[in-house]
Amino acid sequence: TFKLLGILDVENIPCARDSVLYGSLGSVVAGLGHFLLTSRIRRSCDVGVGGFLLVTLGCWYVFHCRYNHAKLRIQERMAREGIKNKILYESTHLDPQRKPADGSG
Amino acid sequence: MPYPFQLGFQDATSPVMEELLHFHDHTLMIVFLVSSLVLYIISLMLTTKLTHTSTMDAQEVETIWTILPAIILILIALPSLRILYMMDEINNPSLTVKTMGHQWYWSYEYTDYEDLNFDSYMIPTQELKPGELRLLEVDNRVVLPVEMTIRMLISSEDVLHSWTVPSLGLKTDAIPGRLNQTTLMGVRPGLYYGQCSEICGSNHSFMPIVLELVPLTYFEKWSVTML
Repeated sequence: TFKLLGILDVENIPCARDSVLYGSLGSVVAGLGHFLLTSRIRRSCDVGVGGFLLVTLGCWYVFHCRYNHAKLRIQERMAREGIKNKILYESTHLDPQRKPADGSG
Repeated sequence: MPYPFQLGFQDATSPVMEELLHFHDHTLMIVFLVSSLVLYIISLMLTTKLTHTSTMDAQEVETIWTILPAIILILIALPSLRILYMMDEINNPSLTVKTMGHQWYWSYEYTDYEDLNFDSYMIPTQELKPGELRLLEVDNRVVLPVEMTIRMLISSEDVLHSWTVPSLGLKTDAIPGRLNQTTLMGVRPGLYYGQCSEICGSNHSFMPIVLELVPLTYFEKWSVTML
């Protein structure tokens, strides 16, 4: 298995692969763009690394990744609870969808 | 169960373990980014012709590299404390199971309703059937109902042991003369393996724990057959 820096298992962690790929892309774009504009090599390298860190962080935490995963996990858990409760409470007095009995039980 | 060349955690089987996996990913990403930055700065240090050696103060950069790590540490500490308190939430277990560590096996007692006791020894390698896991299989598994909160009371009859099931995020020491408690809630049926996690003598590596989580009806049938 491929491990970035020897420790980060990008293949299996959700969002990690996308974040690192977008980060690398952002780093190359930022570094190259800065160099083409200013022709300063060392500063462009710094901008490249900075771009990598910021884009990876941004993609990981903010844009569509962890935040959405967290929302999805909460929804999954609510759905699972809901299914369990529906089975548990079906046709008891706690069932919210129960039609009132018409006297014959 | 563990698999060859595994480097991460096993898949989570309880809500707490899911949270722990999520937190681990978050912390590992921070570690990874900080390490990359440090590696880059080291390479900068090694490839510069600037050799100004009489700098007396550098207020701005010192402020940044004090405040930023403090913020990062807070971002790690807050989820960590949240999970810590989540693990100690009051829940109402429906079942209590006691486990006693011995040299070198575990014994289990289900004494809520009837008196059910059994020992759980590892199956020696020579007696394994094809497909069974070496050093992990036991003769009597701990059968428990799935999707129910279960209280585990853990202690020891002789020396220190530790009752571990990594897939559920459980690791609790078995200390002679002390009763430790942990709660268990599996969300999927299946077999979950663990091994003794406190050195306890020559066969410390040979006293595994196997949890068999099954629907409640199967658990009830099993407990009747074991009585």
